[in-house]
Amino acid sequence: MSLFVEQLINGCALGSLYALFAIGFGLVFATLGILNAAHGTYASWAAIAALAAVQRLGLPFPLAVLVGVAAGGALGVAVDQIAFQPLRRRGAGMLGALITSIAAWIVLDNLAGVATGQDSLSFPTDSYPGGMLHVGGIAFSTMQLITIIAMLAATLGMHLLVRHSRFGAAMRAVGWKEQAAAIVGVDPRRVVLATAFLAGAASGLAGVLGGISTANVSYSLGEGLMLKGFAAVVVGGYDDVRGAALAGVALGILEVMSAQYVSTSLRDGITYALLLGFLLLRPRGLFGGTSFVRA
Amino acid sequence: MMSAPMLRLEGVQKSFGGLTAVAALSLEVPAGCVAGLMGPNGAGKTTVINLITGLLRADSGVIALDGAPIQHLPVHAIAARGIARTYQNVRLFAGMTALEQVMAGSYLRRRTSLMASFLALPSARAALRMTRRRALDLLARVGMAARADELAETLSYGEQRRIEIARALGAGPRLLLLDEPTAGMNAQESEAIGRLVHTLRDDGLTVLMVEHNVRLVSDFCDQVTVMSFGRALVHGTPTACMADPEVQEAYFGRKEDAQRIRALR
Amino acid sequence: MADFWAAYQSTLGFAMVNAFFALSTYAVLSAGMLSFATVTFAALGGFLGAQLAVHLALPPVLVMPVSALSGALLAYVVALLFLRLDSHWMALASLALVLITRVVALNATALTGGVNGLSVPLSLPLWVLAAILAVICVVFWRLSASWYGIAARAVREDAAVAATLGIPQRRIQTIAFIISGAVGGLGGILLALMLQFLSPETYFIDIAFTMIAAVVLGGSYHWAGAIVGAVVFTALPVLLQAVVPDFEKVANGICLLLIMIFLPRGLIDPRALRLRRARKAPSR
Repeated sequence: MSLFVEQLINGCALGSLYALFAIGFGLVFATLGILNAAHGTYASWAAIAALAAVQRLGLPFPLAVLVGVAAGGALGVAVDQIAFQPLRRRGAGMLGALITSIAAWIVLDNLAGVATGQDSLSFPTDSYPGGMLHVGGIAFSTMQLITIIAMLAATLGMHLLVRHSRFGAAMRAVGWKEQAAAIVGVDPRRVVLATAFLAGAASGLAGVLGGISTANVSYSLGEGLMLKGFAAVVVGGYDDVRGAALAGVALGILEVMSAQYVSTSLRDGITYALLLGFLLLRPRGLFGGTSFVRA
Repeated sequence: MMSAPMLRLEGVQKSFGGLTAVAALSLEVPAGCVAGLMGPNGAGKTTVINLITGLLRADSGVIALDGAPIQHLPVHAIAARGIARTYQNVRLFAGMTALEQVMAGSYLRRRTSLMASFLALPSARAALRMTRRRALDLLARVGMAARADELAETLSYGEQRRIEIARALGAGPRLLLLDEPTAGMNAQESEAIGRLVHTLRDDGLTVLMVEHNVRLVSDFCDQVTVMSFGRALVHGTPTACMADPEVQEAYFGRKEDAQRIRALR
Repeated sequence: MADFWAAYQSTLGFAMVNAFFALSTYAVLSAGMLSFATVTFAALGGFLGAQLAVHLALPPVLVMPVSALSGALLAYVVALLFLRLDSHWMALASLALVLITRVVALNATALTGGVNGLSVPLSLPLWVLAAILAVICVVFWRLSASWYGIAARAVREDAAVAATLGIPQRRIQTIAFIISGAVGGLGGILLALMLQFLSPETYFIDIAFTMIAAVVLGGSYHWAGAIVGAVVFTALPVLLQAVVPDFEKVANGICLLLIMIFLPRGLIDPRALRLRRARKAPSR
């Protein structure tokens, strides 16, 4: 029984990383209409930045996380302004932005490889809270607890922002049409920048926490998150923060449980079979009810 | 003279959110007739055209073509029954020449299989040549033959409207719906459109047009329906409709304005 | 000269194989759909064709039609399932299909050889590859002028207006998928013949992104754009490797970015050509 609960916690922690990735990816897709292939690289770079903050500047853990999150957000804004803004001005549509995001992905991915010397680095063990916690015979690491709490906080914050604030109303309006945001009384440009930053920051948070808990700081960190986080976006629905988060956690649990109780080799197969099932039976995700059509 | 209705709307209802765009509208257009649909802005005229062509679904009511209900059919199936239309704000395909627009409109008149086109069989080439010739004829009919190979989006607004009519004719419809065909045209161009509509009617086409130009409606329509706030206000001959005080009130706002407009004619 | 030929022969071969993938992607794009499913069609065509060659010792002449047909059949099924989704979801769904393809390829060891991969005992002279590509080009050229080509453009530009002209969006897009599947399946087996070795990683996300990028780079409004894009996209890394050895991929990405920003409709754009012609010859 305690093994089951521990695996459940493992799954939650892993799934929280997918969830953090998915809410940012979905936010950009719903608000800006961009299928951003570079979203995973923000996570890689955030982890690299946080590691540099620890090693070069000797910053303590909370500040290093902050550095990583800020780096992810800044990268999100930079990619948006360099790769997407010129196309937005021309009204080039979804396809052009996908291509420039692929270009950004290629550039950032390869530069990340150069930055880590094509190696997989890890955080020094004394640079983060590495202890184990024991509650009623169940053991889990402090980092897992931190990851789950961070995911819950980010999801709640993002959900409140999108659904219950004036700014969120403007974000949803931009998803429909830029002029609509202006009518709500918010500068569409600010909405675009804020969305890009928030999405990048969420991906960055996933990168830092994932980089620590998987002891893998390299370009492959972002790629791994991308493949699973993407599944979470599809299952959860890209226009609802809660759906993407819940789906991310569920996929994490499913992955850990199927590796434990079914077979390691079928782990990814089960995830993607579920993904396909969702696509065909519930094509709008868990919470997706209303049609989301772009005018 | 009035034969069985080609198009019949009965109790058609459509609302968006809480806003009623079309309320219990009933309307008949006899075969071989040019019918006008008038009304102030926001009266629901374009909504009616969208409902007939299936781009919008009626909340309730019946839309019938030659007595058979069509309101449940998919858009392309309604077109295949013989209804074609133009748009209030011209919607030509970007990047296509005038000729290609009309050829796209000729989809329902294609005479060759996909396989034949794949293999570039002589029959497919002959069929394509015929489609092209027919499209050129239609462009000539709207006076645009000389512009056949020009990119439609580089042409003037009036020219684009005429290409759109040719494109609709490409489908070989029995009922043609024109949504403000003369908007943005001068008197002379409008007159030409009116005459074109008459020749189309003489060829056996039935026409329903949304039109603001009172003069055009009076001169070229056989019957008129005036709408206001989603309802049919009056139905009858153009002269009778224009004289109706309720129409003058709704359409022109004030009766004095109506008189002034008539004086201007 | 002989050295030059030897050095660039394989680049030329890969450029041509990539042209098939790009044309497959173009086929759906030209009917207004963004789909990554080409990778899946290629995987089926490639693995199935390779197995036929290995176990039944079929010659390439027989293997290739089977690959194309299998791709087309799979594409028909995919179209049935995917065309119910609206455009954004369809793009996501097809990307998910690519991920699933890899998992299937890893686990369906009977068909794919699993992680160990699969050797392909056949090869193809370059001129045969060129001849097949030429035939496919003729088909795309004829199709683009046919009623199908014009209807597909209409659906892409404005599906609602196309429907009011009697053009059924689903039917046209289903045809587009079938064409995409056939060309993709053919490309799959051709890649297998080029590489002479297949693994689950052969048909994966890289092909999907590369091919979409190639089509949009070359120009997604004309079939020739797919060919130009595939050639540029295959040759560019090779050329850049000579110029900036360690950063050729980074340079590749930057080139792609610059081209998209300054030529968002791609290198070959019939509309721009027509506009230029219209400006040069004032007809009034």
